Amino acid sequence: MTAPMTASGARSAGTAASRSARVDRSIARILRAGTLVSIGLLAVGVALLAIAGGSPLERTLPGLDPARIPADILALRPEGFLWLGLLATLATPLLRVAASVVGFLGAGERRMAGLGVAVLIVIALAVVIAQGPAA
Amino acid sequence: MTVLLLLAGGGFGAGVFGSLLGLGGGILIVPLLTFGFGLDFRAAVGVSLVCVIVTSSAAAGVYLERHLANLRLGMLLEVFTASGALIGGLIAFLLPDRVLAGLFALLLVYTAVTMLRRRATSAGGASPSIENPDDAAGAAGAAQAPGPFRAALAGPGYRPVRLGAGIGGSVFAGVVSALLGVGGGIVKVPLMHLVMRVPLKVATATSNLMIGVTASASAIVYLLRDGINPLVAGPTAVGVFAGAMVGSRVAQRIDVRLLRLLFVAVLALTAVQMTLRALG
Repeated sequence: MTAPMTASGARSAGTAASRSARVDRSIARILRAGTLVSIGLLAVGVALLAIAGGSPLERTLPGLDPARIPADILALRPEGFLWLGLLATLATPLLRVAASVVGFLGAGERRMAGLGVAVLIVIALAVVIAQGPAA
Repeated sequence: MTVLLLLAGGGFGAGVFGSLLGLGGGILIVPLLTFGFGLDFRAAVGVSLVCVIVTSSAAAGVYLERHLANLRLGMLLEVFTASGALIGGLIAFLLPDRVLAGLFALLLVYTAVTMLRRRATSAGGASPSIENPDDAAGAAGAAQAPGPFRAALAGPGYRPVRLGAGIGGSVFAGVVSALLGVGGGIVKVPLMHLVMRVPLKVATATSNLMIGVTASASAIVYLLRDGINPLVAGPTAVGVFAGAMVGSRVAQRIDVRLLRLLFVAVLALTAVQMTLRALG
């Protein structure tokens, strides 16, 4: 059983729904763009790896060093594109969360925006803790 | 060059099968990399997490545009899946390979049983009406006065119930995802659908949306602890992405019942191999 809705109530529900749809659409665009960029970078890295030859299982790379990525990319070394592709892959869902926070704040939904911030805090904690010494 | 093609081809196969059977690729990629390419378990999990993020991001965009995913419910639960994933990612570096392989064998058995039960349910006609608001749990949920926050999580024709159980289960799903390199949908979908009374399609779409953030939280730990080899992750992820695209396009034209049976057999065999690995 639903209570009858007033005209202003119906209008505000309609506005909220269209706002929500707008947030969904813009987040979907971010996810699609992020995926395309990540896969594009990884695909270029794989192509360069194929040109370089050799088995990827036999090569060892030093760990991630973001400062080296621009130089590797300019020199068309596969690892530069692969590292950047990996970073873009990991960043895409986080951009989605950041965009949700902005969208919810714009819609006045502070609690939902707070949840997004909480997710980003957990991710920041992961970065800090992972850089600490492994047991 | 051959190994590169095999990695991309293996990823492609995992992407196609995962997409056809409604699974993330993780359950296939980890055995592929450990048994097929001799990677140690943790290295395979790191690569698998990257692949899982790629497929999740690609599919989640589509689900959001079709308004199938519940973004608000996803945001609430992913605080806890991400926390679980952070914990799981840290635990993964403390556990021996053999323990992880044993846990993965258990996951394979659970997945195989779930798929067999799904097949039995669809063969037996309509599944139990769990979207009916008049059933016992629906009535229990309706009896709770919906606060503004709970109301914000509702979708057309449903309102999630038992948030506490959903939150606890989400932490567990995050730990499983991080330890075993899977998306965790195998935990999240039943949790949302059967426990929180969210319609199956919405639960599947929302789980997919959450997988990206969950896997990112643990993948960051793997990445910063040198647990992801980009030379392996690159070709595998590109293959998985291409395979998932192809799988989603042919899914409507393929009868997946036989495929599912075949897949259950593969899962069972892989579970035996993983168990042997765990036993050393």
